[in-house]
Amino acid sequence: MKQILFLFIATFLLAKESCLLCHKNYNDLDRYHTIKEFGCISCHGGNGKAKEKTKAHQNIVKNPARLEHAKIFCSKCHKNEIERIAKSLMNTQSGILDVLRFQFKKPPSKSFLLEKINNPKSSFVANGAISKSKGIKAIQTPYKNLVQSHFAKLCAACHINEKQSVFKTIPKRGGGCIDCHEAPTKQGEKHIKFTTIIPDKNCLKCHNRSNRIGLSFHGIYESEGYNRYKNGKLSNKLDKYRRFIKLPADIHHSKGKMLCIDCHTEVGIMGDNKEHLHMEEAVDISCIDCHKPIFKKATNFPLATKLAYLNGKVPLPKDKVAITHKKGTPIYNLQKIGKKIVFFRKSDGKALSMPLLNHLAHQQSFHKRLDCSACHSKWIPSCYGCHEIYFENARQFDWIKLKKTHGQWMELRNYLRFEDSTLAIGYNNKIMPTAPGCQVFMNIFDKNNSFKKSFISLAYGAWNPHTTNKSKKCITCHFNSSSLGFGKGIMHFHKNKLTFIPFYDSNASSLELPFNIDALNSINGEQLQGFSRKNARSFNKEEITKIINVYKCAICHNKWSDPIYEDFNKSKKLFYQKQTSCAKRLLQ
Amino acid sequence: MKSLFILLLSLFAFANTCATCHKKEAIKCSHSLHFTHQKEISLTLKAFDIKDYNKSISTLPKPKSNPSSKEDLAYDLLERKCLRCHIDVISPKNRCLACHNSHLNKNDSFRARPTQKKCLTCHNGNFIGVDFLGLFPHDFDKSYRSPLDKRGFYPKRLGGIDYHHLIKDIHAKKGFTCISCHNNKISSNWEQISCISCHQKISAKNHPSYHKKISCIACHSAWQTNSYKSILLRSDIANYNDFKRLFVSEDPYLERFLPLAIKKKLPPVMPNYLDKKLYKGIWYQGYLFRRWEHFFLINFQNKIELARPLLDFELTYINDKNQTIIDAQNFGGFVVTKPHTIIKEAKSCEMCHENDIASLPKAKIFKGALIEGSPLTKEQEKKLHSLKYKFLRAKDFFK
Repeated sequence: MKQILFLFIATFLLAKESCLLCHKNYNDLDRYHTIKEFGCISCHGGNGKAKEKTKAHQNIVKNPARLEHAKIFCSKCHKNEIERIAKSLMNTQSGILDVLRFQFKKPPSKSFLLEKINNPKSSFVANGAISKSKGIKAIQTPYKNLVQSHFAKLCAACHINEKQSVFKTIPKRGGGCIDCHEAPTKQGEKHIKFTTIIPDKNCLKCHNRSNRIGLSFHGIYESEGYNRYKNGKLSNKLDKYRRFIKLPADIHHSKGKMLCIDCHTEVGIMGDNKEHLHMEEAVDISCIDCHKPIFKKATNFPLATKLAYLNGKVPLPKDKVAITHKKGTPIYNLQKIGKKIVFFRKSDGKALSMPLLNHLAHQQSFHKRLDCSACHSKWIPSCYGCHEIYFENARQFDWIKLKKTHGQWMELRNYLRFEDSTLAIGYNNKIMPTAPGCQVFMNIFDKNNSFKKSFISLAYGAWNPHTTNKSKKCITCHFNSSSLGFGKGIMHFHKNKLTFIPFYDSNASSLELPFNIDALNSINGEQLQGFSRKNARSFNKEEITKIINVYKCAICHNKWSDPIYEDFNKSKKLFYQKQTSCAKRLLQ
Repeated sequence: MKSLFILLLSLFAFANTCATCHKKEAIKCSHSLHFTHQKEISLTLKAFDIKDYNKSISTLPKPKSNPSSKEDLAYDLLERKCLRCHIDVISPKNRCLACHNSHLNKNDSFRARPTQKKCLTCHNGNFIGVDFLGLFPHDFDKSYRSPLDKRGFYPKRLGGIDYHHLIKDIHAKKGFTCISCHNNKISSNWEQISCISCHQKISAKNHPSYHKKISCIACHSAWQTNSYKSILLRSDIANYNDFKRLFVSEDPYLERFLPLAIKKKLPPVMPNYLDKKLYKGIWYQGYLFRRWEHFFLINFQNKIELARPLLDFELTYINDKNQTIIDAQNFGGFVVTKPHTIIKEAKSCEMCHENDIASLPKAKIFKGALIEGSPLTKEQEKKLHSLKYKFLRAKDFFK
């Protein structure tokens, strides 16, 4: 009712707006936000009665979609959304800040590392953050520490409320609501357009660094920066200096032609009105939400109907709609119509059939601790060695102050890989793929440009790499040094003893580490690198032994459907009692 | 006739001081692979699928300045990029000093022995030589020039190349240098020295008969330098800005030329290392990616050997009118390699038997091109996953 009243008032006001006398031929923003109904002033402010430019433009707002303006101009209709997005991770950035705090504040010193190697009982790995981050609003100048300076100079460029088009060479980011909701315009359209079908391009503006989920999903791997030409032009350009190569994309993208928002729900992205610390708390979608869905009556979820209506392509849920396991929020494009489960693509409303999780492999008890991504991800982009250098005497552009300020950061790296991921216990207490994130080698140079101090802070991170594909083979995990966390090298199992020779020599490569840089844990199960989450850890000795013990059988019994795995403990018992045919030959 | 002329010329060049005593060696050297580059040249030409590939430095045709075919480009590539490592370029005044050090009389002849440093002048980067010391080249991009030292400088480079340090060859660890093995005392043909020249007794227990056909290096090498797709671009236009972060690209000429060319707007020129004159166009090299952990098994001369992507080219030629004459065309493939990264323990069984990319027919990156040798047969493939292997391996685990 309020909305209708507002529209009525808006129409009434429009009759008196003089803006369109100069600003001719402006297009509507979308089918709801039309100029006819909204006019200009209801969003941009200014004086609609004045006929001179200066007077008419008094108190005008160029981009009302910025969160501080949206609070005033858009709140009449979108109060709930604006409140939620203000508390979301994309606005508070507390995820980034918390990881930075973890990396910069409590780094294990070199002597600590050495002690760890010599004395396995001591623990150096500080898992989890020190205290709850207060997010971007707590950052005040002058920056007190490395965390704030690093954030302002490098990370803050991807803040949702960042000023748009600061540099012409850098893709447009930020701008508040339109950071995500901007739709591509056709030629001749002067005003930006809105959409709720967020194109992947908008997500990729930011989600292309760090763990590079946005890129991996599309089968794009940021390469080592070599140029490639096709038709006389650089063919593999990610941006001015970054290059890519194509790898197998996520099956949801390559076969399903799905967008990011086909999985990621409105609540998961825009927030649930709570301030979260990390991504895993905010995101509500998981694989089982679609592949092992829970359905509820659609009438109980008005949000689902509203979102489907706004989408315009997905039919309105009438019968039953799926909800997420984690937060119980609706997934409006997964519906149960009669007995049929249908997934509607948000981009065009095309109905896709949903493969359900009734494959026998998923019902076996022994892989219950695995996250889906541990088996089903094809590759994970890993960046080894992050050499951060901070020059106190130089200046660099600051994304919070939007001008050059004191202090300059430089980032160098060791090498990139896209191969089988290291496995470890992730933030959700499940076994997940991990990759370095980040292995900081920090060097600080003081105001006289001379060396001040250095420290090493190594961490791994667990995430779903978004390269979903067919499941891996048994050996990819059960006898693979990099999956087990030892790094790349030669692993032998001889006379009941595990040995490992790493390829990488960190010390000779002047990294000053007593272990190879790609080792998350030693073969004795000591964790060598940290995790920014409290629950996360590497495999311990017991787990390593357990994984390798399975391989003893998996050499021959290399299919999950093999009868010995129906009751593996029983099979092992029978084997050691020499009651199986292979035991008679092997245990002599 | 031409070769005779070159021989005389070479005698003259070798002659300056050394040949007064070492006449025999000077003549021998002018026929050696180190001087003729016959192996590199013919393999490269073979990789480009050129029929008449058997050529050496004396019979290599002079490249045209406006090449139109892959042949012209291959000759041009060799003379202006690869043959930078020719003896005459390394040591123009006295050829002998490219490898040897000078000595005064018979009593100090030990000084003349080639030092490791001399060998590594050419045998570096992707090639066998530096891997003996556990070195694997860094990627070219500026961001890989890590770690910065305590004075804020980029790390020191060995022969202009940044390196990762990986596990060293066991011979290097024990203090061997190149000529400890590659000398004419151990084998008369020092270019083809083999492991068994020294290691004559090997235990039968660790070297079972079913692995008889496998070369020593296939098992005992730890890692190898694989450079997937050498992306070659000959550009006659001044597109220097695309390479702004790739100045340090294992080519000392480009490293000095490119910054200067951007600053002073110089036209794209590069020397021909054989006639030492500047010609139009620049050869850039890049890769798809480089890895040390992969290896590939192939049949070569009745043995199972290792192969690696090395002469695996993607060739592009953009001429001075900005026309693309050859557009990202693929040539070549894998070659046999003998990585000098020997370790005592050898590879684990799984590294070959359970590795999908180790056996060539299954490798997806590999599209069938082998310049030397032949891929594993289906029978050999089957043997990799045979019941016998599985039983023996399982037995090993339950010992």
